Amino acid sequence: MNENVKAVRAYRRNLCIALGLILLVFVLIPVFVKSPYVLNVFVLVFYMSTLSMAWNLLGGMTGQNSLGHAAYMGLGAYASCLLITKAGANPWLSAVFGMVVVGLVAGVIFYPCFILRGPYFTLVSIAFGEAMRQFIINSTFFGRASGVGLPFGKDSWLDFRFMSKVPYYYVGLVMVILIYLLMKKIERSRMGYALRTIREDEDAAAAIGINPTKYKIMAVVVSAMVAALVGFFYASYIRYIDPDLMVQAKSTESVLPAVVGGAAYVEGPLVGGLIMIPLSEFLRARFSAMLPGINMLLYAVALLAVIRFRPTGILGWYMHSRFKRFVDEKLLRKPPVEVFEAVEMEKHRGKEA
Amino acid sequence: MSIFLQACVNGLLMGGFYSLMGMGQNVIFGVMKIVNFCHGEMLMVGMYLTFLLSTNLGLDPYACVPLVAILMFLFGALIQHTLITPSLGTKSFTNLLFLTVGLGLLLSNGALVLFGSEYRTIPTSYAQTYIALGPVNLALPRLISFGVLIVISVALFAFLKYTTTGKQIRAVSQNPVGAEVVGINARRIYILTYGIGTALAGVAGSLLTGFYTIFPTAGASFGFRALIVVVVGGLGSIPGAFFAGIFLGVLETMVALFISPSYSDLIVFITFIVILVVRQLIIIRRK
Repeated sequence: MNENVKAVRAYRRNLCIALGLILLVFVLIPVFVKSPYVLNVFVLVFYMSTLSMAWNLLGGMTGQNSLGHAAYMGLGAYASCLLITKAGANPWLSAVFGMVVVGLVAGVIFYPCFILRGPYFTLVSIAFGEAMRQFIINSTFFGRASGVGLPFGKDSWLDFRFMSKVPYYYVGLVMVILIYLLMKKIERSRMGYALRTIREDEDAAAAIGINPTKYKIMAVVVSAMVAALVGFFYASYIRYIDPDLMVQAKSTESVLPAVVGGAAYVEGPLVGGLIMIPLSEFLRARFSAMLPGINMLLYAVALLAVIRFRPTGILGWYMHSRFKRFVDEKLLRKPPVEVFEAVEMEKHRGKEA
Repeated sequence: MSIFLQACVNGLLMGGFYSLMGMGQNVIFGVMKIVNFCHGEMLMVGMYLTFLLSTNLGLDPYACVPLVAILMFLFGALIQHTLITPSLGTKSFTNLLFLTVGLGLLLSNGALVLFGSEYRTIPTSYAQTYIALGPVNLALPRLISFGVLIVISVALFAFLKYTTTGKQIRAVSQNPVGAEVVGINARRIYILTYGIGTALAGVAGSLLTGFYTIFPTAGASFGFRALIVVVVGGLGSIPGAFFAGIFLGVLETMVALFISPSYSDLIVFITFIVILVVRQLIIIRRK
């Protein structure tokens, strides 16, 4: 029995070392890579992956395919930017303000919309996003179509304002990690199980005592708040926002990393983002001067290829691949399932005694 | 008063296009229960096809309509056969959704790569011809388009109602398993319906070229309005789609006339959300 415990501990340690190494690589990248262009691509990967994780909570985990996440991101960006420019508030505080506002808006507006299911929910999310964008274009308070700019000035942590891309890189990295941990926490919580039950069968979920509306509202509020955080980050990084931030195409782009990476997994958007966004940026830099649109064209081909040939995404394929078996058994020394079960049994017996 | 009538007529003529797009979407959604998110892009492909045919072969844009219909039908059938049918088996709504979204991206960016982002028009001798009807002036190209639209709508209605194939399509839309039991090849019907839906979008695009500019994202607003038409007009109802399209067109011009043109999109989207929610509430009540 003791050997089993040792094997499990050794595996957990190996897993931690592997994750630590990956993290270390990301922490060290700005130390060795000085090119602002490459750093910019990484910052893009961070915030797009976070946005995609926000979508994945609602789309992948709850099965509510929203196509309006750019609107939450845009609203969050607008709410925090306006608080900074009009009231002179501290950016960090205004980030919290933006998240709260967007969470409230999403919760209140979507409350009646949650009686809609399947394609109808998708339609209402598109209509909601477009309506928000049109509202901002028509509102003088929101600066109409010309957008809102954030003040420039000296580098400062208090104002979240830097010339260099390195601080944004680290803040972006921290944001990805925190949101990932949050999503992982949700996945393993009561809420996560409820959401997945709703995804599989809403009526069955209601029958066994899960309140679908309550959990769907929780999912949409958390998802919208994370999207608003991304909006704040984007606004602070680019230092200028306009209603184009909220166009339909942006919502689609925010979904692609999750679908390509594997929407059933919390890690899906990270994997998809890490592959698709550098690819898209490379194509844009390499080809768009000659042939505008070629980067999105190849992006679309990649998406169609994944859906057609690997419907569960890259992670879905990896989970059942020989490569994963090789990684688990040879590199991480994962013990067989029986060993895990034995250890669990032992734990319970210990508790009872 | 004459401005009001003019706006009504313009809305009516534009609404015809929303109807035609909605009918195509309706046929696809009714049979396969998937929302075709590249429907607007199909309209755009129809526009560029007409542009190519008329500039290279010197055909009149309206003479291109039957050709475009046939080509778009084949295009749709090909897409259904190679991409959508295999994914229908996985039963994953998310994947089917993003399959059509991806197709839309592919088509609009494909057009951008092939034709650039320039706005194009097909010059015709009658583009600026107006017919006066009492206080109202009717642009000839819009009028011809509307006439063709009506003919196509009636033909589609009759096709679905009276022909054997039409009856098969309706059978599959009501109950795919039951339809297969009585010997209908559902895969064939899927290919047929996607072809028909695509052809309708293509024809709408082709008819638009008489008075509308051609550019890679021209279809987006029509694509979304087609969805509104389907929802408002009712699933599987061709007359419903027809009247919903007209309603939408008139609503748009009325908002533009009485409030402000820049608010017309906002009002359309909000109306749509309200109609969606109210419709669902009514359905729940009935149960």
